[in-house]
Amino acid sequence: MTLQRTRTYECMCLLDNREVRKGWQPLKDVVAGIFTKHGAKILSSRRWDERRLAYTVKGQHRGTYLLVYFACDTQAVAAIRRDLQFNEAVMRNLLVDCAEVPQGAYEPEAAFDINAIPADDAPPAPVAAASAEAEPVAETPTEA
Amino acid sequence: MSNMTTNSQDGGMGGGGQRRSKFGRFGARRREVLPEEPLEYKNIAYLSKFVSANGRIQSRKRTGFSGQNQRKLSEAIKYARLICLMPFVGRM
Repeated sequence: MTLQRTRTYECMCLLDNREVRKGWQPLKDVVAGIFTKHGAKILSSRRWDERRLAYTVKGQHRGTYLLVYFACDTQAVAAIRRDLQFNEAVMRNLLVDCAEVPQGAYEPEAAFDINAIPADDAPPAPVAAASAEAEPVAETPTEA
Repeated sequence: MSNMTTNSQDGGMGGGGQRRSKFGRFGARRREVLPEEPLEYKNIAYLSKFVSANGRIQSRKRTGFSGQNQRKLSEAIKYARLICLMPFVGRM
């Protein structure tokens, strides 16, 4: 017998800016689909911020954060967490228990221009140095 | 003989009148500090105040928080590190 209990959770997803530039609403729907697939009811889903990351993830120096509040069965949380990890667009996710949804979460999301997202200032991939050809090592004369 | 040993452990306080507390004389004056802002992983600006230049979480002795708030602080900082809001090493 499994105990059915619904709780409210908060999930912060770090999204890849390369996916965000393709379209914000479709990406939001994809992420929302991960939750609804497991029977979760989404209470709020809005962009939290777009900012420079503290450290590089998948070669990206910037990312967009999506904050989702949802209610679901406690048994479904592990499956949601696993699906978030499998998704390519979600670089990091943090799913924590939430006592109550803050009032600000229900406000409509502020419109933003995906073209205004600053370009990632990640350094270019290291070029294979042509000059790295191994110089012939001079053989040391063996003394007889 | 046993009294002599005790006095020497007190740090040479002298004739045996006053005994120094195990936790030092600063312990008695410690006042609990309450957090000025909520200790959430999203509140990066406030959490950064409790991180050293190397990225280490400050101790209770430095923050002055209660045990409960210190646990909230360390948990919030660790959550923030996981989702790239704060660095594991160093300061932003």
